[in-house]
Amino acid sequence: MEAVFGLVGWFLSSFRSAEYFIHLAILVGIYLILAQSFNLTIGLGRLFNLAHVAAYAIGAYVTALGSTEMGMNPMQCILASALLSGLLAFLLGGIALRLAGDYFAIGTLAFSSIISALLINWKSVTRGVLGIPGIPRPEFGSISLGDNSRFLVLVIGVVVVSMGVFYLLFKSPFARVLRAQSENRNAAMALGRDVRLINTTAFFLSSLFAGVAGSLFAYYLNYIDPSSFAFSEMVFLLTIVVVGSPGSFWGCIAATVFLVLLPEPLRFIEIPSSVLGPMRQFLHSIVLLTVVWINRKRIFPAQREV
Amino acid sequence: MLQVSELYLQIGDANILNGVTLNADSGDAVGIIGPNGSGKTSLFNCLSGFVFPKSGTIRFKDHDITALPPFSRAERGIGRVFQSFGIFREMTVLENLMVALESRASIWGTFLPWSKGSRSLREEAKGYAAQVGLSEKVQHKAGSLSGGQMRLLEIIRALAFGSELFLLDEPTAGVSPKMKEEVANLISHVQSLGKTTLIIEHDINFVQSFSKRVIVLDQGKVILEGTPDEVRSNERLQEIYFGKRAHNN
Repeated sequence: MEAVFGLVGWFLSSFRSAEYFIHLAILVGIYLILAQSFNLTIGLGRLFNLAHVAAYAIGAYVTALGSTEMGMNPMQCILASALLSGLLAFLLGGIALRLAGDYFAIGTLAFSSIISALLINWKSVTRGVLGIPGIPRPEFGSISLGDNSRFLVLVIGVVVVSMGVFYLLFKSPFARVLRAQSENRNAAMALGRDVRLINTTAFFLSSLFAGVAGSLFAYYLNYIDPSSFAFSEMVFLLTIVVVGSPGSFWGCIAATVFLVLLPEPLRFIEIPSSVLGPMRQFLHSIVLLTVVWINRKRIFPAQREV
Repeated sequence: MLQVSELYLQIGDANILNGVTLNADSGDAVGIIGPNGSGKTSLFNCLSGFVFPKSGTIRFKDHDITALPPFSRAERGIGRVFQSFGIFREMTVLENLMVALESRASIWGTFLPWSKGSRSLREEAKGYAAQVGLSEKVQHKAGSLSGGQMRLLEIIRALAFGSELFLLDEPTAGVSPKMKEEVANLISHVQSLGKTTLIIEHDINFVQSFSKRVIVLDQGKVILEGTPDEVRSNERLQEIYFGKRAHNN
């Protein structure tokens, strides 16, 4: 196993500017898991879940605290991140899914704000805006993933497994009924479908994988603070799903790669770093507005008269 | 099979149902008529669980289902055909039928796309589509069908799901005269399979041809019940349904 990590790591790092491309590949990998899991709820189920970044944050903080304070091993940290994010979403889903349409979105936004406030103000645990530094890179026995190229192998492995699971889910009868209830809730119930259970399950699975993405993110950066989980991240995820066509498995993958890499050429232009950050959001906004404008008839269809 | 007793429904300050009592045996064909606002669709909403009555009981196959949610009632055999087309418009005809058939799937079958039996379910779905002349349109979006075809799809989907009691809310609303005949044939087919049907219709001739018994609702109450001929010749029906007295005045 160590030989595989070593060999692939050596191969990747042998390229010129490899470090930079490895960094991009890791980011794309983490966002693939995060965006595809978001696509499950908002794309297939039309559940306007604005708490997805909160699940991502929970995953990241569980890994950060687990590895720095509790001495948990990487496998325990990743599993705990996934399960805790999933279970909190399950509880939230049980409450918020009683609300319909826009009210559901407001309910999830409220949850997201609570998590955000906790991360900033529960200083004894999260260290507030100072964040949690010194998150060690995972070690599996004698295999250390301190090197980015080796860490990328882990990310690729998790992405392949996650995308495999999502591919099966998107093709499954579960996805079909998720789409059905999003179109006509009463008709789905008249066909014996427990719509709330279906949505809660989708919510759980979606947040479970967001937790995994959060765990990888914490391990990769070695440091996390609340600013990484701001509402702008939610808007970025929404942009990915809309650009990739909501509910489309392959569209979401293509949009993630495109949108994560889109602002990268700006790095090679001499722009002050204070401008570079807002420029990234500006670019994403332009892409989002363009796609919404092109698809305006599909996204905002005329009200049916009959 | 179905016993409804003293059903009262209140929405806001309005009393929608005022003590409705009715029974339907297995294989019964009951027509429900009444003027607009008489509570016909609200009665169906109560029976299928989309609204809950203030008081009264609904028993189905000897079980009290008054407090059960819609999906539990559907699982027990109560099928609903909605007045405003309860189909999944953005999904294909085949997918609409698959949603009904896959309700029988196990937990593994729900999450795995190529589970054992999924191919046979697909073939079964195509068989149901063929029964209503939609073989050529199985891969078309259901929203692209005509009103009559949508209605056929909705009824055959309830049959595929395994419903035993069909609540048909104005099955010919929004259907062309030509397709009306096909919808009528399908309802006859459903009845010939021994299924119980409750049909809401404004067209008395249509109700007469499918019902052994007709119930007339007015202001949330059953005011008449009898064979189609008995009800049709009743003066009170003439009054409330055709406004005969008002006309004479």
